Amino acid sequence: MDVLPLTEPVLLILLSIAEQPRHGYSILKDVEEMSEGRVTLSTGTLYGALRRLLEDGWIERFREEESSRGRQAYRLTPAGRRNLQLEATRLKHLAKVASLRVARKGL
Amino acid sequence: MLALYRCLLRLYPAAHRQEYGEEMADVFCELQTEVRSETGGQRFWPRATFFLREFAGLLSGALYEHSRAITGSDLSFPSRRFTMRSEFRFPNATPILMAVILAGVILAIEKATAIEQSFPLAYPQQLPPIQPEHFTFFPAMAVIFLSAYAAAVIGWALLFAMRRSGMHRLSEMPPVQTQK
Repeated sequence: MDVLPLTEPVLLILLSIAEQPRHGYSILKDVEEMSEGRVTLSTGTLYGALRRLLEDGWIERFREEESSRGRQAYRLTPAGRRNLQLEATRLKHLAKVASLRVARKGL
Repeated sequence: MLALYRCLLRLYPAAHRQEYGEEMADVFCELQTEVRSETGGQRFWPRATFFLREFAGLLSGALYEHSRAITGSDLSFPSRRFTMRSEFRFPNATPILMAVILAGVILAIEKATAIEQSFPLAYPQQLPPIQPEHFTFFPAMAVIFLSAYAAAVIGWALLFAMRRSGMHRLSEMPPVQTQK
């Protein structure tokens, strides 16, 4: 996980917990919603990605106090947020270049 | 289905299962309840798709985690370069060294053949052949290389087994201080 670009599932997982800490089920639902149903993660894929992100220090565990079930939630670490920002900047640049190239071809 | 899911969770390495197993089963339960309520328990395909996705995800995830545990790398085992823990990688110079050895062996055999053919034999019928009649170059080379690779693999397997046993950690232990 030390290099960009990120895979789409990982990017969506990070975006999902960028605003607020979320637990596993909530992340799955949010990823599906963000991708408009295009990306549906299985629990195996989700927890594989979460394990790697935790090991690399991009995310951390967060105990939900409000939840009666005491479920584990996950949130971004400062390093994870910085890397996500870098990826967003990279994608923005790529989208800009793509727009320009497509527009030029259309002329 | 939850029982089957828990059974399949056993395919994961123990460490992963202990850390995430319960959480994964909880999330699976929630998803299953949601699928049931959405389909009303009537429609077959949405439920089948859900179970298929979950079980396929579990199997591929377990395979990935095991390959990672063995290779010590997050790269997918079959699709990428075979990486091992750094202390168990073959040195980069190995192929070059083996190529040099191979060239040396070929040259030596060629030289020996040339010497044999140019040697003035006074009594050719009394001199035994240098090589047995069935000896041919390529099968012999194959045998030599297979033996070398087998020895290397056995050596690597021994080192790997020692690493897995945690033996290397003995060197990290602090020395025992004896009281005087």
